[in-house]
Amino acid sequence: MSGMKKWIAVCLAAALLALVSCGGHEDPKNLISQDEETKRVVNLFSPMEKSDPNAENVARTAADLTIAMAEERLGVTVDYWTYTAEDYQDKTYDDVALDRARNNMDDLYLLNPDTVLALGTEGLLMDLSGLDSTKNLREIIRVANTVDGKLVAIPQEVVAYGLFVNVDLFKQYGLDLPNTPEEFLGCCRVFQENGIETPIGANRWWLETFVLAIAYADLYNGGNTQAEIAALNSGEARYSDYMRPGFEFLQTLIDNGYIDAQKALVSEAIEGEGPDFLAGKTPIVMAYWGAANTETAYGKTDFEMQVIGFPTHRGRMPVMPMTGWAVGAQAEHAEDAMRVMEVITSDEALQLFSETNRVISPSKNVKVDCVPALRPLNDRIEEGVYVLGSNAGMNVEQWGNTCLIVRQLLGGATVDECMASFDALQNAALNK
Amino acid sequence: MKETSTKQENQRGLSLLLSIILIFSVFGAVVFSVSQKISKEMSASAIQNLSESLDLIQSTIEAILRSEAEFQELIAREVACADDPVAYIRAYEKNRTMAKLSLILAGETEGVSNAEERFTEEGLDFSAGGTISGMPVSQSYVNHMGTWAYTVKCPVERDGQEIGTLYAEYIYDAIDQSLPNDGFYDRQASLYIMDAQSQRFVLKPKGMGQRSAGHLNLTDFYRANNIQDPEIRAEVESCLQEGRDAMFYHNIREVHALNYMWAVNDGTIFLVGYVPVESIQQEGRTVNQNIMVVVASLLAAFFLCIALYYLNWRQQEKLRREQEEERQLHNRQLAQALRAAQIASESKTTFLSNMSHDIRTPMNAVLGFTTLLDRDAENPAKVREYTKKITASGQHLLSLINDVLDISKIESGKVVLNLEEFALEDVLSSVDAIIQPMAKAKGQQFHLEVTGVRHEYLVGDETRLNQILINLLSNAVKYTPEGGNIWFRVTALKQRSSQYEHIRIEVEDDGYGMTPEYLETIFDAFTRAENSTTNKVQGTGLGMAITKNIVELMGGTIEVFSQIDKGSLFRVDLELRVVETPKGGATGHAEAEPEEAADLTGMHFLAAEDNDINGEILSELLEIEGATCEIAVNGQLAVERFQASAPGEFDAILMDVQMPVMNGHEAARAIRALDREDARTIPIIAMTANAFAEDEKAALAAGMDAHVPKPLNMELLKKTIGQFSRGKESL
Repeated sequence: MSGMKKWIAVCLAAALLALVSCGGHEDPKNLISQDEETKRVVNLFSPMEKSDPNAENVARTAADLTIAMAEERLGVTVDYWTYTAEDYQDKTYDDVALDRARNNMDDLYLLNPDTVLALGTEGLLMDLSGLDSTKNLREIIRVANTVDGKLVAIPQEVVAYGLFVNVDLFKQYGLDLPNTPEEFLGCCRVFQENGIETPIGANRWWLETFVLAIAYADLYNGGNTQAEIAALNSGEARYSDYMRPGFEFLQTLIDNGYIDAQKALVSEAIEGEGPDFLAGKTPIVMAYWGAANTETAYGKTDFEMQVIGFPTHRGRMPVMPMTGWAVGAQAEHAEDAMRVMEVITSDEALQLFSETNRVISPSKNVKVDCVPALRPLNDRIEEGVYVLGSNAGMNVEQWGNTCLIVRQLLGGATVDECMASFDALQNAALNK
Repeated sequence: MKETSTKQENQRGLSLLLSIILIFSVFGAVVFSVSQKISKEMSASAIQNLSESLDLIQSTIEAILRSEAEFQELIAREVACADDPVAYIRAYEKNRTMAKLSLILAGETEGVSNAEERFTEEGLDFSAGGTISGMPVSQSYVNHMGTWAYTVKCPVERDGQEIGTLYAEYIYDAIDQSLPNDGFYDRQASLYIMDAQSQRFVLKPKGMGQRSAGHLNLTDFYRANNIQDPEIRAEVESCLQEGRDAMFYHNIREVHALNYMWAVNDGTIFLVGYVPVESIQQEGRTVNQNIMVVVASLLAAFFLCIALYYLNWRQQEKLRREQEEERQLHNRQLAQALRAAQIASESKTTFLSNMSHDIRTPMNAVLGFTTLLDRDAENPAKVREYTKKITASGQHLLSLINDVLDISKIESGKVVLNLEEFALEDVLSSVDAIIQPMAKAKGQQFHLEVTGVRHEYLVGDETRLNQILINLLSNAVKYTPEGGNIWFRVTALKQRSSQYEHIRIEVEDDGYGMTPEYLETIFDAFTRAENSTTNKVQGTGLGMAITKNIVELMGGTIEVFSQIDKGSLFRVDLELRVVETPKGGATGHAEAEPEEAADLTGMHFLAAEDNDINGEILSELLEIEGATCEIAVNGQLAVERFQASAPGEFDAILMDVQMPVMNGHEAARAIRALDREDARTIPIIAMTANAFAEDEKAALAAGMDAHVPKPLNMELLKKTIGQFSRGKESL
């Protein structure tokens, strides 16, 4: 009975406590709090792929993590502005980025190399060389992003393009992975003879990597790079002479039906060629390093995949263009934007980015193991064998222009006509 | 009975359980229906809530569009009034709301703009027929600033005549700035603005977490959010065509959400997005949670009450069971007590029956032989034989009476031990002297063994010790057939204290033995191995009870082991205090000398006896012995008679105790108090039916010298008188 009394006492005490705790504290007269802090905003413009509800985009997650780090450290809010082309008829991301930067619409931009060069040349990008984080940059990054003596962009990853090959199919037909253009053509022939009519999956963006690899394999790996670039800038050497072998090789691929030029011309990156490659119908596609890590691209295949360099007479050659973050010179929130840049390009942020995305870091202090499929490509880069897809030191922008001229080839132009386009560009540059 | 009761209890339990289940079912149904009702109301409320929010946003956007249109009309009027409309347009400064202002004069296809050299309607699609305040609005497009924009055109009229068309380009960013800063529903809602004609998303959420949604166009939105239901999509399509609002439930990444397509400006643009229902129903969720808390509290309270009730019931039940057990125990005890009482009653009845038989038997002999004595009075041989048998019967009757009185006294706690020094050897010798002849008479072998006794002189009640031994040994003789063996062993055990001798007395025989049932009651009073009416062995059946009581009175223990036809073993353990320095007179050797009976011839006694018959018998018996006796019928007369006597006239005074006028004790004291020389020396012998030890003690205390119990045993009397006469001689 005494136990029961204790119980009742405890229950009553709990009820009393609950009543007391529910007891009202008086409401303030004005129910709206007035002490909200002024919101600091940084507008960021970046591309965004079309959404797949069931896939995780590691690359975007990696960038978001560093942005979140900046928001937390600086107390700013980063607003994302994006643009995605619906199809090839739409304005491209680069077009829109140029328009936005020229109209001072945003503070931070993620830019492709041609856009970096264009906007840098126009003096629309902030000089980032004063940031602490630049001290840790690899030299190649600094060179590739310096325009008129200003460091105008800093990447979070060193983007390397390569050939993504279905090793199972190569093995099935007794083929070795190709090193040279001739070997590559031989493989394509075998695939075609075995019923794979179009062995190379292509889109309207990345076929230029074949061309650039063949064009500049010697320039970047022959030990005379600076002199050769100087000759090009002075007009002593012609870009068309460098480009011709690559275009002729591409023409051969098109002529032999190894590439479906018409389809490629209207295909968006990965969207067009990706499904057939993943289904094992196409043994070869080209893509950037990060595509091997992310499920939205080729991060999860049912076959053994390897990423190798493009075939040149110097062997397999990775092509490395430089995308990067840039700050508008007249940005409305330039100060905060620079601070955000400082954070997202810091070693800590780049470490986080590289670990999440498994990419080569632009910081010499950050090293991360890559996935097995990327090792062949990584090995070449570690050996110092690669071709730059863009170089702000050249007076003719390479990455964007080559892409557009390759589209001319795809559209039916001859190699000579394409070379004429390069000559026109060089002449225009020389006449500036 | 018990089974029926259990069954009824089970049925009651089942009914209670069913009732509880029923109550809970009803309670659950009520709670369920209430929660359903709340859910429906909350759902309706959520839809209403979201509709109002969207209406508000819609109104805001439409207000912006209207004000833009009104502003454009104003500019159109200014342009109309301007001397040089083209110059006016070129000079008009761009701003973030109106990104471009252009004019195409009537009749021309090319015009001017404040943002570019030439302007045409190329790239502007007004085909959808959308208007803002009656002015055509184009399909949305990405403008030269790289952002989504739309163009509104309005006529420029001068004097009622249209002189051209004014085109104003507006960017959606301006609308974005008018929308809630943090989105709505605490940034949980996603909000896109979609151009109805192209179904492109022209304004998108800007938060980091919002970027998972499809952001490109309606198809991308469907894909990203897995909206595949054809009916929903058809309904949405229909709404888009007709400029109607649509709202539907659809889970976005497994979160229950309300999706919406909200027509703005008659459906030229739509607000598209979704809100997790929980975000709208935060208060509802809180209400629901509180309801659940209340219900849970009620249930907890209910179960607590049930638990308390159960505990209480269990406690009561335990108490009831304990009481029931106690009651049953009492009943059992009462039944046992009743049984014991009945047994006792039966025992006493049996005892009385036995007594009746045992007394009547010797009495029959006495009376029978008296008759024969009367008939054969002339035949001396027969007379002697008859008187001998009468004496034997009398003796038996006497022992019977002694035992009955003894047990009565023991049971009433009136026995007092008479502790005094004694020699163990004397006791054993006297016992041996008594038992040996009895055993011999029955042809039995009697073995006496004494082992390890360290002290000869001990303190105890010698008489009672004798009684114990005689009882045990006489029983052994009685219940052992002729030719049997009786062992009498006295063994010293290890001393527990140097002041006490620990002795073990064993009496063993190889006689009839006892049944286990009888062993259980052997020490009870009024029991006997066999009914005396059927047993040839006579006895009161009190001996063992007396023995056990005396042993325990002495602080000892008694055990018995027996097997039928094998014999019995009685074991008595006693601790008796040792005497370190025995008193000189207490050697007992002198007393142990066989007492010689006195020759009474010529002696003259004064006897105080109130009973005439007893007086006569005494006179006759003394006369047989050659002595004379003078009878005083009470103590007073005896005192007076002695006072009046000449010194030496009487050899001794034989004093009865219970007498009228003055009892024997008073008389003895009075005599001793007399002022004459022989008053303190004349032997006064108590001769009384008060035969117990304390009677003897009382007699001695009163000044008497000895105690001889009635019935009068002449041999004993003679021995007693002999003691005094020898003492006298020695003096």
